[in-house]
Amino acid sequence: MSETTFMGVTRAKIPWAPVIDYEKCTFCLECDKFCPHKVYEVNREERRLVVAHPEHCVVFCRACSKTCGPDALSFPNKTEVTDLIKRLRKEEGA
Amino acid sequence: MMKRWGILPCNGLDKPAGQLAREIALYLAQDQAKTLACPVFLHSAPSVYAKVKEETQWLVLDGCNTRCASKLAAEAGFAVGKKINVSELTEKENLKLGRSLRLEPEALALAKRSALDLAAALFTARTDREEKTAAIPDGKGQTDSGVDFPASITYTEFRQDKFRFRVPQGEFFFNENDCWVWVQGQRARVGVSDYVQQSLSDIIFFSAPELGAEVEQFGVLGSLESSKAVFEVIAPVAGKVVAVNEELEGSPERVNENPYEQGWIAEVELTDWETDRELLLDAGQYLEYLKNKVADFHV
Repeated sequence: MSETTFMGVTRAKIPWAPVIDYEKCTFCLECDKFCPHKVYEVNREERRLVVAHPEHCVVFCRACSKTCGPDALSFPNKTEVTDLIKRLRKEEGA
Repeated sequence: MMKRWGILPCNGLDKPAGQLAREIALYLAQDQAKTLACPVFLHSAPSVYAKVKEETQWLVLDGCNTRCASKLAAEAGFAVGKKINVSELTEKENLKLGRSLRLEPEALALAKRSALDLAAALFTARTDREEKTAAIPDGKGQTDSGVDFPASITYTEFRQDKFRFRVPQGEFFFNENDCWVWVQGQRARVGVSDYVQQSLSDIIFFSAPELGAEVEQFGVLGSLESSKAVFEVIAPVAGKVVAVNEELEGSPERVNENPYEQGWIAEVELTDWETDRELLLDAGQYLEYLKNKVADFHV
């Protein structure tokens, strides 16, 4: 993935990525099959899906959670992330 | 002549949310005399529904986010007039379904209540649409717009494989979530870009934002749904929703046809355009951004 910034801010500094609730996750992998950005990785030995590349996740996108039958995916608060982006833009002089 | 309503539910035998979807469908079919499609039968013998499909608009009842009923509706070419997701309904009602596949009295009561609410909503939707259709000679849905949107737009376009991507020239601004805004004074029109409609492919359902709702910049302004995905429209600006493109409710394919013109999403009364503008790309910047994005990811 070539995108390293979002709204002029270094992507790695923006904490936007899915969080998996392993109590609910049924390892159906619908989210992984859906996401074209390779955010997830599958550990087949442990039958566990992991958020291996959070920086690949498109900021504010929650589309994978709309594929999750058991509702095991959650995302950070948008308003807080927007405020952080605005602050970082000032710091980075974007 | 308006089509009658039919129900396409999640079959839901192995999950409590599916059982609830099924129960709502049964109430609607039995007490409200709505046509009921069996999802398993539809999947295995779609031709059985060929005639009824043409005469019916469908209420789709999904049990969970796997959206089996929605995907089946898209596959079968059903015209979806309304849909609900039962898992969202139980969350809203603060009802825990537990693990038992036999529904508790509280869940059964919710099913009955929801069926009555839905029956009333279907009746209202029908009456509203009939009135609007009667009032507009060419039969097109009414779009209550308060902006003087350009009658014709010039596009810059490029191709990637079989896909064509257009970016409108002029006073359009974009967020990096592929949504555009066109501003006139204190009011703005919002929509999605070609990238969204190409990624989703055939859009089968538009869930409109609520009129009068206040939305923050990067908040959600409704959603678009295809068999592939649900796309939340990420607001490029903050403001109050003052109009929605009602034509999309009956014809969501307008977004595929042209997401910048007849496929616009909503209009908002702006809260702070100058501040919002700082976080948006102009048409030239978005074109470059889009080219890179399309080169990286196949739609």
